[in-house]
Amino acid sequence: MTDHNTAVWLARIIPLLLITALLPACGPPPPPSLQQATLLPTAKTIADFNLINDKGEPFHLDNLKGRWTFAFFGYTHCPDVCPTSLAMLARVMKRLAQRNDLDRLPRGLFVSVDPERDTPAKLARYVAYFDPAFSAVTGDPEQLKLLTRQLGILFLKSPGDSSQDYLIDHSAAIVLFDPQGKFHALFNVPHEADKIASDFVLIKNYYEENG
Amino acid sequence: MKYFFAALLLSLCISPAIAEQGLTVKQAWIREAPPGAAMMAAYLTIDNTSARDQALLSVSSPRFAHITLHRSLNVDGVARMRSLERIALPAHSSVTLEPGGYHLMMSMPDKRLASGERVPLVLHLADHSEIRVTAQVRKKP
Ligand SMILES: [Cu+2]
Repeated sequence: MTDHNTAVWLARIIPLLLITALLPACGPPPPPSLQQATLLPTAKTIADFNLINDKGEPFHLDNLKGRWTFAFFGYTHCPDVCPTSLAMLARVMKRLAQRNDLDRLPRGLFVSVDPERDTPAKLARYVAYFDPAFSAVTGDPEQLKLLTRQLGILFLKSPGDSSQDYLIDHSAAIVLFDPQGKFHALFNVPHEADKIASDFVLIKNYYEENG
Repeated sequence: MKYFFAALLLSLCISPAIAEQGLTVKQAWIREAPPGAAMMAAYLTIDNTSARDQALLSVSSPRFAHITLHRSLNVDGVARMRSLERIALPAHSSVTLEPGGYHLMMSMPDKRLASGERVPLVLHLADHSEIRVTAQVRKKP
């Protein structure tokens, strides 16, 4: 290779190297690496729904806005998985409350997929047992489905030991809504409170820095 | 003699229940029910140190109208509960009933059970023998 050819080759390769080195700085930084959360590539806008909260008041998409929300879907007749998950979510809130860099704690929301048996008054007492700040919603099955379908959350009645004791198969995942009320991330089982809490802080910081 | 009986009573209260047939039941507890919850779950560990396969067929308690053997399963992210006819207790092995897995589904307690209360349970086995244990009501394991 002559000196002239080397110079031409360098003249071509150097700008390319520079562009490659500078490229990441142009777009948003890569999302944080997370331990338990599955981040949606783009937060998903949710169509409005018409539910009822644990005070018996209407609960719409707008009520999710202005604050981060952890939502868990279950029913109070579930003695094993649901109390385990809600106690775990209460531990997440405790971890977050111990930090001093969060101006506001996320909302902990229990969505009952058993409106037949779970009245608003019953739900209020049930969720407060795990964390006095938790709230609950429920509603007509079709309105519940309108919401859960958009989140990939499933629920289905299954016969129990008697007609009164029916069971409900339900997704065990925890959904994270951002302050715009968009479906932002999903936490699949098995849940670990420490990992969920630290993932949440990473997600929130990234969201605030990059929109 | 008085002290001997006191000590014996005390040891009966705190030691795991051991049946003659080589089965030991330990760490029996019932999850305290949140207000309004009609169902409770109980958990325990059964060691089968014998050379004989066994099975748990049912559980009864004077404090509950109805107890069924249950299992929680996670199928592609969906939590399901199913009742079971029996829980196999293979020879030389240990079976644990724990949150998210095998459990005793307890319905209709005679009155609300508070943390710390001790509830007698009778485990009915496939060979018609029984094991009596005491489960404590607790918020967590
Ligand atoms: Cu069960």
